[in-house]
Amino acid sequence: MSNKTELIRLERIKKSYNSVEVLHGVDLTVNAGEVVALLGENGAGKSTLVKILAGDIPPTEGVIKIDGTEFAELDVYKARDLGIRMIFQELNDAPTLSVAENIFLGQWPTSGGKIAWGELKAKAQDVLNRLEVDIPLDAEAGSLRVGERQLLEIARALIQNAKILVLDEPTAALSNVEVERLFKVMDQLKAQGVGMVYITHRLDEVARVADRVQVLRDGDSVLNEVAKDVSRDELVTAMLGHAAVKNARPAVSKGVTVALEVKNLSDGEVFNDISFDVHEGEVVCLFGKIGSGTSEILESIFGLRPISSGTIDIYGERFTPKSPQDSTARKIGYLPADRQRLGSFAIRSVAENLSVASWARMAKAGFVRKMDEEAAYGTWADALSISARRGPSQEIATLSGGNQQKVLLGRWFEARVNVLLLVEPTRGVDVGARRDIYEIIRKQAKESNMAVLVATSDYEEVVLLADRAIVVSRGSISAEFTDDLVQANKLIAASS
Amino acid sequence: MVKLRAGSKVQGSEDEAKKRRKIPDTAPLIGVLILMMVYFAFASEYFFQVENFKNVLANAAVTGIVCIPSTFLIIAGQIDLSVGSAAAVSGMMLAQVVNAHGVVLGLTSVLLFGLVFGVFNGFLVTVVGVNSLITTLGGLGFLYGVALLIGNGQTVGMDNFEWLGVAQPLNIPLPIVIFATLAALGAITLRYTKFGRSIYAIGSNPNAARVVGIRSNRIIFQTFVLSAVASSFAGAVLTSQLSAGSPNSGLGLELQVVTAIVLGGASLAGGRGSIFGTVLGLLIVGVLNNGLILLDVPTFWQRIAQGLMLILAVSFDSIRAKLNNTRS
Repeated sequence: MSNKTELIRLERIKKSYNSVEVLHGVDLTVNAGEVVALLGENGAGKSTLVKILAGDIPPTEGVIKIDGTEFAELDVYKARDLGIRMIFQELNDAPTLSVAENIFLGQWPTSGGKIAWGELKAKAQDVLNRLEVDIPLDAEAGSLRVGERQLLEIARALIQNAKILVLDEPTAALSNVEVERLFKVMDQLKAQGVGMVYITHRLDEVARVADRVQVLRDGDSVLNEVAKDVSRDELVTAMLGHAAVKNARPAVSKGVTVALEVKNLSDGEVFNDISFDVHEGEVVCLFGKIGSGTSEILESIFGLRPISSGTIDIYGERFTPKSPQDSTARKIGYLPADRQRLGSFAIRSVAENLSVASWARMAKAGFVRKMDEEAAYGTWADALSISARRGPSQEIATLSGGNQQKVLLGRWFEARVNVLLLVEPTRGVDVGARRDIYEIIRKQAKESNMAVLVATSDYEEVVLLADRAIVVSRGSISAEFTDDLVQANKLIAASS
Repeated sequence: MVKLRAGSKVQGSEDEAKKRRKIPDTAPLIGVLILMMVYFAFASEYFFQVENFKNVLANAAVTGIVCIPSTFLIIAGQIDLSVGSAAAVSGMMLAQVVNAHGVVLGLTSVLLFGLVFGVFNGFLVTVVGVNSLITTLGGLGFLYGVALLIGNGQTVGMDNFEWLGVAQPLNIPLPIVIFATLAALGAITLRYTKFGRSIYAIGSNPNAARVVGIRSNRIIFQTFVLSAVASSFAGAVLTSQLSAGSPNSGLGLELQVVTAIVLGGASLAGGRGSIFGTVLGLLIVGVLNNGLILLDVPTFWQRIAQGLMLILAVSFDSIRAKLNNTRS
């Protein structure tokens, strides 16, 4: 880099929440025209560090130097004034407004109280030209692809004279082409002297886009090197640490009969040419980073998402899912990642939540007896050790996350499904209950010969839960592991 | 490391909930109803009399017939504002057809109209996907016009068909018997059948209902049909009571219906409500109207009281929702 001005210097940053220290004195420097990739597993402290830089939260200790000026802490407004901008994975735009308006969102130029459209459009066009992207100014932002909307966010940051850009996993939802376009834009910004912090889970992106790479683990900086000098294995080791947990794998077992067979499945958007099968009594995990397409594959099998090509067979019989009703009728169950939105009936009782998928079986002449519901609840409350202190009539929303999840699992066990699809089954569940849930899933799969397919982004979950692991990367299967080959480092390397 | 039993951290709020649970949700309504009755009993010598109670109930019965399926709709997160105009159209139709072709054809045509109009509403909401508030607001508007059209803007007298509204088997007015029967059927359906339980599930979380395989659209469609048929039938009862079909007879019915249901504890956000609560809400509205009449309060004050009552009821609904949110 020609330009060696130091834009950011964070020194010995510490941060504690309620006397628990999550950052133990981390340094971070970014020069003008430099991209620093920030890596680390969930909970390593990346977000906390970046939030301190954006002025969202103050550090407990440490020094922040921006452009040579020293601060004990920043606030959001000060950070903005200093030219620090954040680009998140989630979009922060107004989908019903035009591209031009979105680029100036909230900062529209005015003359005499009216919006100066001419100036607005000229400047917006100017910035899009600078990014070398070709998007019509009058298009509604909501009509654009996610990648293009991501670029609009960058355009907005540029209009506001960003000197430092923090990109927090911006590529998670992008296609390969869109990722490449984003990288080209980043190259240009680099040439213009913008300093960037780039947070990612994708190791292959590091060499492509970053000048330097820094790895955080458990609140410490454990690696800080020139990007092209570090191998992928070194990065994985640094992220996991030498004390990578050697978890005891459960004994692998499965039935003979194939319960679910997927062939060449594509949705024409997120995943492509996916083929695999799941046997009776087998737990198969589809492992991939968020945005890799694992959860979408399960959505499609359940009929929540249209398929463009490929086939699904249930017990050797062709199954064309059109709606969840078809799927439940074929004895397929589905546990969504978003429990609040798609899973629980928050204000209804646990007994009702547990038996809702079995009403058709329980009903006699259309009548569902409370007795039957409570009996079903009693069975599963025992088997899954669900603790609802007020018994079957307690509202599900008053239970802990782990207990809610057990109720929703019990829902499909009670419905006696043959194929159970689970998306991120332990998200929002505390660590203790997690182990319970793995045990429950495995036990139930073996005892009732149920085929279980799990979509997850948590490698530890795969190690503890799966008979077999299939790794998905950017919508395609990249590896498959069985037996003791299901190991954290292999999974991570294959998914990046 | 001590393994925390999942659920232990919500213990506090559960204990509080336990205490609250001893008092049923409908207790405040019963309290309000009793207070109102005591007040009116002292304020007017005519209030606490069997004939007056019959009168209150017979009036409430017509609204009540509409309230049953409307309670279903509100629990499912929907609403039907077209009930009043649908009742008015059927009243006008009944008077015309009964005069020309007799009672059997009259009742048949009215129920047929209800069926067709219910299918119309259900189609728009579940197939086309129009918001139910707007769909039925449109229905409220255009059917009022149809009601005026049928009688050319005039009230149409009807002969020889008083029994439906006026007959008193066992000394109880027939509309009360019909309403009580429908209320009991409605309560059983909601509480004990797959259909009724699905309605709660749909209102509580429509997305999750889809995922567990509930045929939400079909159930909502059927409930709109029930609502329109009930409205038509209520219009017939009203016309029979008055011995005339009036295009204005259904004006403000939707207001009374929604007030009664929301007072009764149903949530406009869906998922909560009961027929018992609705009946209590209906009685509160009915007793208030009756008391105000007995006290010679001018009718426009009754309108004001009714409107304010709805606002009060929905405010309670919102406050309750807020309290629930802060608790969890």
